[in-house]
Amino acid sequence: MRPELDTGVPSGDLLLEFAAAIIGTDLAALDKARTALAEALGPAAVSGASAVAANFSKNDRVANGIGIPVDDMVFKGTEDLREQLGLNAYKSAENTFRHL
Amino acid sequence: MSFYSDSEFPVRDDLADAHAAQFERFARAGTWGSGAQRLAVISEARQSCIDGGMLEAPEDGGAVPDVDLPEDVRAIIRCLAASPKDFDMTTYQRARDAGLRDPEFAELVAIVSFVVNLDVFARGTGVRLRPFAEPQPGTPSRELPVEAVPEQAFVPTIPNPPEGGALARELYGPFKPYIMRALSIVPDEFRAHVELEQAQYVLLPKIMDFGYNHHEGLTRPQVEVVAGRVSAINDCFY
Repeated sequence: MRPELDTGVPSGDLLLEFAAAIIGTDLAALDKARTALAEALGPAAVSGASAVAANFSKNDRVANGIGIPVDDMVFKGTEDLREQLGLNAYKSAENTFRHL
Repeated sequence: MSFYSDSEFPVRDDLADAHAAQFERFARAGTWGSGAQRLAVISEARQSCIDGGMLEAPEDGGAVPDVDLPEDVRAIIRCLAASPKDFDMTTYQRARDAGLRDPEFAELVAIVSFVVNLDVFARGTGVRLRPFAEPQPGTPSRELPVEAVPEQAFVPTIPNPPEGGALARELYGPFKPYIMRALSIVPDEFRAHVELEQAQYVLLPKIMDFGYNHHEGLTRPQVEVVAGRVSAINDCFY
């Protein structure tokens, strides 16, 4: 991960901090990130961001657990992006590459 | 009263209702597991996250399971719940070796993923983990769709229309990406997956409308920042 990069999204840094903290092991960091997010984007954004983080915590487990490959339409045309972000090194990438 | 009436942050009614519905269905017999078995699975999942430091143990976790799961199955649950990046085909094979058939395995993956989802939400909003309900009597339906066939996942899945037939059209409409079809060998879990997706992420008909904001206070790009970060930490290639 490269936290020094600008997400280009308002309060992107706070959202990244919150997303990492909500699934991390440092409760104090989560409390701090939650407060900062609420102050910047309002209290409803905390439940919204929590819902999104929860949803993708679900989806990541469904994807890795069932071993699904990336859909063709996404795989094609993302070669450069996957390379730049180092996604091909993920263990779960094998669920896609074993079909190629 | 809202399922999250104790939250200091406002929670949309549809989201609270979707979560309440999941906790209620955990306690009922599923397609392959009894209510008691399902409680044992989600309890193991929650405990593994507590042991891993990702959740804080609640004072009252609710119902306590009285079903002893085999250690092999418990290990698979722990891996998926607490270390999803390490879950691979070898883990799936261990599940098969432990005696789990594909639809049973898929139901296990579903409810482990769903309970982690619900617990992450609670943690994010700073509320206590919701207590588990007492398991309800009832017999699993054992509904096995003949339309589910080997495709490219570990388990059979129902193809998109036209290959998936009338059931695929009913479940998917014209098309669903693999992340939504993944649990289709257990249609009830597929439906639960969709319900959570629509409440927590975006209404599926709006998914390509990047100007649509599903969450107050968050634009779609902001939503994607959170989604991308979580999936990167979980090493989820999909």
